[in-house]
Amino acid sequence: MSGAPRTKRPRTVLEGPAATPAPETAAPAEATPLLLDFLPREAEGETRLGRFFARLREGKLSTTRCPRDGALAWPPRLVCPKCHQGELDWVDLPETGHLYAFSAVLGGAPLGMEAEVPFAVGLVDLDGLALRLFGRVVGRPWTELRVGDSVALEVYRTGDDRVFYRFRAPGPPAA
Amino acid sequence: MTGRAVAVVGGACTDFGVRPLTWPELAQEVGEALFRAVPSLRSEEVDSLFVGAAMPERFAFQSHVAPLAAEQMGLRPTRLLQRNELACASGQSAIRSAYAAIASGLSDIAVAVGVEKMNLPSMAEANSSMACVMDRPWDGPSGATAPPFFAMVAQRHMLEYGTTPEQLAVVSEKNHRFANANPHAQFYRKTFSREKLLGLPMVAPPLRLGDCSSMTDGAAAVVLASEEHLRRFAGPVAWVRGTSQYSDFHNLANAGSLTEWTGLKHTAREALARAGIGLDALDFAEVHDCFTISELIEYESLGLCPPGGGGRWAAEGNAELGGRLPTNTRGGLLGCGHPLGATGIAQAVEVYEQFASKVPSSRQVPDPGWALVHNLSGSANVHSVMVYQRGEAG
Repeated sequence: MSGAPRTKRPRTVLEGPAATPAPETAAPAEATPLLLDFLPREAEGETRLGRFFARLREGKLSTTRCPRDGALAWPPRLVCPKCHQGELDWVDLPETGHLYAFSAVLGGAPLGMEAEVPFAVGLVDLDGLALRLFGRVVGRPWTELRVGDSVALEVYRTGDDRVFYRFRAPGPPAA
Repeated sequence: MTGRAVAVVGGACTDFGVRPLTWPELAQEVGEALFRAVPSLRSEEVDSLFVGAAMPERFAFQSHVAPLAAEQMGLRPTRLLQRNELACASGQSAIRSAYAAIASGLSDIAVAVGVEKMNLPSMAEANSSMACVMDRPWDGPSGATAPPFFAMVAQRHMLEYGTTPEQLAVVSEKNHRFANANPHAQFYRKTFSREKLLGLPMVAPPLRLGDCSSMTDGAAAVVLASEEHLRRFAGPVAWVRGTSQYSDFHNLANAGSLTEWTGLKHTAREALARAGIGLDALDFAEVHDCFTISELIEYESLGLCPPGGGGRWAAEGNAELGGRLPTNTRGGLLGCGHPLGATGIAQAVEVYEQFASKVPSSRQVPDPGWALVHNLSGSANVHSVMVYQRGEAG
């Protein structure tokens, strides 16, 4: 399973300030076995959440809300966990938030992410609603991050043309 | 507790560490150790086997491990045979299933064994496997594994309560010191002063290497029997008097407070209520110190000290021998290593051996009558607790 070296392919940021080069989430190479591939199954025929990934391709992070009880879910769902019915609405999520907590992976990264070490991760309170999302935090080294910092949601395209989301901290203010 | 009374009548561990052997070989080793530790046990009377194994598919490329473990250990279960997977709590899950089977009358004598082979030639591959404990398709792509998650827990605890790296080092030093009295421990005969621990490299800030339990190969097994079948196992036993479990989220978005583990509060309260005792009755505890910060929050969520008081509880020596509640005398996950499926069972072995006065004197709790065992799993989203009472067979 250690196999051949993984090939790096160019990646494209779809949205958000792209000025600062930053570590990116692993892009599975073509040869990555399914069971070593961290990204979700996005393709038609592999998931019933195609609407989520289609919207993500447009640069928008969305999720489901139950029209009956108003419950906002994360991750997006097929069936409401409160009232167990499957007619859910889609809503776009706010594109800004604040760091509730963060850390950094300085070693012990999973396969395919070793080259990105060190990388920061965090829990982000999205502005304006009660949702706290986990994700990569790029744009600034982890040593320059503080709890409470503003971050912006960013959608990025992976090497094999899938999409995922992360957070970008604006560059540090001039000293 | 309802149903038939159930007791642990003996148990054994293999050496924990980076072991030059395979998953099935670990199962053989622990079988040998178990039959040596419980000489009156006959393989044909073990009617059921529960196998705690978190990820043999990932670490050993092997499913259907229950019959594999049975064959390796020389057992032929005729009533109940199953594998229990609950990540870091797989071992306790196996014991709870064995308890339930015996209490219900389906089984009379059962073995709960935990086996985990975690050290692979590629650490990156092993780390990928560990990421599967989290919500892999949603949190995994961002690099969610246990160290950064528990690091965020520690960061919030420091921010909210002023907990310090020095207080974390108190827990790590204590557990590594106890591990020096445990020849099976991964860090047996390795000394870690607080100063040394505070100088180890950062893994996921603010957590350093000494704040994190290790990738460990190891196995442990216990025998459980119904009250009616105790007579032939002479000597001390550990009665299962209370047990409970609580699960409240999986994706990290749904974690709520990182520093208040309400699931542990609920499950500890219920397990103690089922045992009919309060915290004050406990003589020692085995809690899930996968990270130093975990043990501090466990003191708090068990109700030993107020929220935020965990650092002070440790620094005041309350978890030491002779303290208010000696905790992790086995050496904990920090000192023994953390072979996921084996950990919960190794903790039960510690309870049994403490009750039987079979541990080295430097970690022996004087005349213990009651013990609590806690495991968390994943991102502390599941809490499992068992309460044991010392008794005598026959």
